Amino acid sequence: MTGDANWYEAAQVVGITNALNVAADGLGALGPIDEATAPPDVRALLDEIRAFYGGGEAPACFRLIAHDGAYAADVWEAARHAYADNRLARRFKEALAFAVSVTTRSASGASFHLAEMRRLGVGQRGVMEIVGVTQMFSSYTKIADTLQLDADMGDIAPADPTPAPGGPAR
Amino acid sequence: MPTVRLRHADEYPAAAQKLFELSRAWFNHDFAEPPAMSRVMAWDPGFGGPHGRAMKRAMGPGEFSRGEKEMVAAVVSGVNACEY
Repeated sequence: MTGDANWYEAAQVVGITNALNVAADGLGALGPIDEATAPPDVRALLDEIRAFYGGGEAPACFRLIAHDGAYAADVWEAARHAYADNRLARRFKEALAFAVSVTTRSASGASFHLAEMRRLGVGQRGVMEIVGVTQMFSSYTKIADTLQLDADMGDIAPADPTPAPGGPAR
Repeated sequence: MPTVRLRHADEYPAAAQKLFELSRAWFNHDFAEPPAMSRVMAWDPGFGGPHGRAMKRAMGPGEFSRGEKEMVAAVVSGVNACEY
């Protein structure tokens, strides 16, 4: 897990997961788009999303924001990029998304990403490993906050000297 | 500034010194002073002991690697807005 590129990918997963959970958990009153009467480009978008997630119904967060097709397409492009296999495997990214969803008390996100972890081959042991890490570090962080501890472990990992993608070396 | 006065390692009993050694081995880093969280957890072994064991069980390699789990831990800490 050394190298900043891994951490940029993780941050993308954290950010977009939170964004999708906000929609799924908070936009119920808006109601999902009616696919039968949706414009062709929105139906094609939802088909693409369904395919990425192995069929079934497109996740609620996308059906809720698909009332604005162009906006939903941009969000989906970012989400697909964030969750796709890259330096971090999609299976692990779903574990990160599950941890984020549990930590932020997003029941819909936790349920969705738990199902995705299992679909991508994570067993019960692996699920409980992520539950354990999430729970224990939810404890450590609150202990640290309560006692207002100063960060003192920031120097145990070396800085990554590589430039931004495509940029010149320093 | 911490709510409590964090004791230096040499203010702890011998049993805690062993925990500090384990902490050094766990992080594979030669700290000048054990991390603040290690010293907090060593304050009350009745809590810190089982809490630390649960953490090590969760963080050990399994379906996910130790490195992957460290990233999950960092993400959970970040989402909790914890700077420590």
